Amino acid sequence: MLGVAIPVESSGEEASGSKFVAINSGRAGFPVLRTSRFCIQCAAKPETVNKVCEIVKSQLALGPDTLVTPESKFSALGADSLDTVEIVMGLEEEFGITVEEDSSHNITTVQEAADLIDKLVEKKGVA
Amino acid sequence: MPDEVEDKILLSQYAKLLSPEEKEDISRMGGDKLQKHALITRTLVRTTLARYSQERPESLKFRKNKYGKPEVEWQPRAHQVPPSLHFNLSHTSSLIACGVTIDSPVGIDVEEKQRKMRNDILSFAKRYLSSQEVEYLCALKDPEIQRQELLKLWTLKEAYVKALGRGFSGAPFKDFTIHLRAMGDLKSLNEESDIVLEASGNIAGVSSTWQFALFELANSHYAAICMEQNDNSNEVDSSGMIKLKAWKTIPYIEDECISGTDSIVKIIGSVSF
Repeated sequence: MLGVAIPVESSGEEASGSKFVAINSGRAGFPVLRTSRFCIQCAAKPETVNKVCEIVKSQLALGPDTLVTPESKFSALGADSLDTVEIVMGLEEEFGITVEEDSSHNITTVQEAADLIDKLVEKKGVA
Repeated sequence: MPDEVEDKILLSQYAKLLSPEEKEDISRMGGDKLQKHALITRTLVRTTLARYSQERPESLKFRKNKYGKPEVEWQPRAHQVPPSLHFNLSHTSSLIACGVTIDSPVGIDVEEKQRKMRNDILSFAKRYLSSQEVEYLCALKDPEIQRQELLKLWTLKEAYVKALGRGFSGAPFKDFTIHLRAMGDLKSLNEESDIVLEASGNIAGVSSTWQFALFELANSHYAAICMEQNDNSNEVDSSGMIKLKAWKTIPYIEDECISGTDSIVKIIGSVSF
């Protein structure tokens, strides 16, 4: 997935809004134009997904031959419940967020984790 | 113990027992080792349940309860009441455990004794355990003992939530405390058992009592079981202890009763082997 940030002049608008337009490859492989002010597609940013993959690989001590994709289920990667919770704690520290206990246990895939992280990070930013 | 099963012919025999959905799930696993592990897991569940019922391993059907807990979907048979067998599974990379009970919901959890925590033990505990459990851990000075006790508490808590079968939202870890006699506070709870559950008010609808036991398996794993206490249960002897029989099994190859051997050593709880 590619992420390209292009500074955009926003005329007459409040500077609190994002000024960047990110071009990402959506899941279907087509480029999706996405501004941060609107969420046309609610999928997580690729950087978030990549970071989650990294943390998961590290927590589960996965070798280079194990493929980790956004759809990868933690349990399918060999995580038990303690691993899942430890992964979530690692993500909390990495992104500076707090995940509710329910979610800590219930996040099952990389994508779910990344989506939740981006949502929480955004909420944090707005507050 | 999955590493003991290498034989490809044996593994292909196992595959014959599985449903198409199970095979599909397995094919989605990340890598050969994980796929083998999943195959052995499903085989263990099927062969274990088959030995306690009239079903053949390959004809068992499974479903999930509304909270996602797997259970058997017994097929109606003429003139037969479906067995009230309950089961629960737990695994680590090096051990797969399947617990089966009659008439009593059960939860089981296993963890490697040597398993290291990635996070700081007390930070982790404060984040996920109840305040009394955190207090207990904080009072232990040796970090290695802290780590061990954390694992023990974790497996017991997991076993309870899995036995309850309502998912983690049904019993958030912070909302209940596992009291171990070693903690020294059981006298105030007036309890005879060595492991006592204290649940706060918001664990809705929990009126049954639960029995726990914690033991060491194969000198390498902590294993916790939790069972609903049931007056009619066959699972409990006259002194109220869970009657536990344990086998070390490789489906179709080996079946060794390890109760009473040093492969299974009780740590704490109301269980007799």
